[in-house]
Amino acid sequence: MGVIYVGDRAVGKTHLALELANPYGQNVKVLQPDYENLKSFLVSDADSTKPTEGIDFRFLEIQAQLPAGSKSVTVDWVDTPGEIWRESWQKNNPDEWQSFLENSRKSEGILLILNPYRETLQGSMASDYSTQQQWCKRFEKWVDFFRYDCPKARHIVICLNKADLFVDNLEQEASKLAFDPNGSAMTWRKRHSYILQKYFRPIQGQIEQINKSTRGLSVQCFITSIYNRPLLELPWIYLASFLSKY
Amino acid sequence: MGNIRIIGPRGSGKTSYLAALAYWPDQQRRGKKKKGVKLQSLNDETRDLAEKAENIILEGESLEPTTVEGGIDALPFYSFGIEVKPRFQKPELINVAVRDYPGEIFEELANPASANPLHQEFVDECLEESVDGCLILLADWDKSTDKFTSRALSKFTKQMDIHNRVNNLRVAIAMSKCERGELWPGRLEPSIDLFQQHLPKTLATLEQSISSKNLRFYAISTFGVLGRNDPRPNREDVIGTGGTNSVLREPNQWKPYGLLEPLYWLSKGKRLGYV
Repeated sequence: MGVIYVGDRAVGKTHLALELANPYGQNVKVLQPDYENLKSFLVSDADSTKPTEGIDFRFLEIQAQLPAGSKSVTVDWVDTPGEIWRESWQKNNPDEWQSFLENSRKSEGILLILNPYRETLQGSMASDYSTQQQWCKRFEKWVDFFRYDCPKARHIVICLNKADLFVDNLEQEASKLAFDPNGSAMTWRKRHSYILQKYFRPIQGQIEQINKSTRGLSVQCFITSIYNRPLLELPWIYLASFLSKY
Repeated sequence: MGNIRIIGPRGSGKTSYLAALAYWPDQQRRGKKKKGVKLQSLNDETRDLAEKAENIILEGESLEPTTVEGGIDALPFYSFGIEVKPRFQKPELINVAVRDYPGEIFEELANPASANPLHQEFVDECLEESVDGCLILLADWDKSTDKFTSRALSKFTKQMDIHNRVNNLRVAIAMSKCERGELWPGRLEPSIDLFQQHLPKTLATLEQSISSKNLRFYAISTFGVLGRNDPRPNREDVIGTGGTNSVLREPNQWKPYGLLEPLYWLSKGKRLGYV
């Protein structure tokens, strides 16, 4: 299954990917590429993540611990710079843009990373983030992208990232949502309903519309943070349940 | 080996039914092994399906729809070894090979203008000489469904005639998802309490075209109810494409109903005794 990994600039896509590959994973391990290899691509000498420049095509070999046992899957991972959603980037990089669209039209999995919106944040850094109104308007464009450019998508996974900034007690919330291959407190459906109503309320209607719009398409919402491994792994455990074994 | 095909509209629960068979929740319960029935997955596709039951259905999600992409050759064959020990009788082992068809194949039968060669390929395969029986799952019961289903099955029986299968193909019609409150009380006598009551046109179409020795009616529930003394459906309807998807409500109380009976009759041509 091809999975494309999308989101605007500076939402934390690269950080999330790198942290996923951290060898100290619980239920998800990235077997290939290894952490150091991935770090060399993604982290600058100054130890901060490099902004993704062109569109990166990689293979990820992931092992997930599922209720039926360990499952290894290979994912065609298409990582995109946030700028590709700007018309200016698309005009200046027509071949790359077309290549990306070709991939999105074949992909069965979409991982969308979102920033939180300003009203959920506190402190002076909140002003760096979109307002709720801007956030909602931006999401409409994502809906159009899913509808028109992802005809083969079967699973759309939407991750509201940087949960450490807007969740009061991250550890407590994570333990509520935690996945345990031997028996979790919540089913996927209950997790999705809980997260949708608590964190995605302004766009809940649109997400439910996406669910209805295409036969066989499932939309699942998550909150993620590089500071909480269980939350970080959840979207990948979910996807691995449906991906074919290699 | 019983060679069986499963058809039915989209969302009627065909793949979930097979996944429940492959996983067989009764067998998984510790200390409560039902000795009357043992189920074994005989090939990789069936083992994969059992894993999907555990990774997806038991985790409160629904399986992906079966598609026509890839054509008939891409459809997996699920193979089960079923050991039944009816009371006061010797154990019996039956092997069943089942193919699960995409829902649009059934739905296209109701479309008089349909001339899709791919769909005809599926129907031809379904009615091959080597197929012992066909299980048709239906999930809805309103008036418009009755008209629609009657039309689809009228065309299906015509196809049976074209393929010379009217006298030697067993057809089991099952009302799926019978854990729903409106249907659960009617599960014991499905031909009268479910089909005559809710799908009279469909019933009439079938009885006119297929002899009674080759036609049976069943009620099945892949998810079951919450308990012997709690007949609430063990299901939740969540928003999905084409309306709703069904997911398990309480995974720890997964107890399907009536899964084996149609397969047994389609394979052996006789009724499954009390197990």
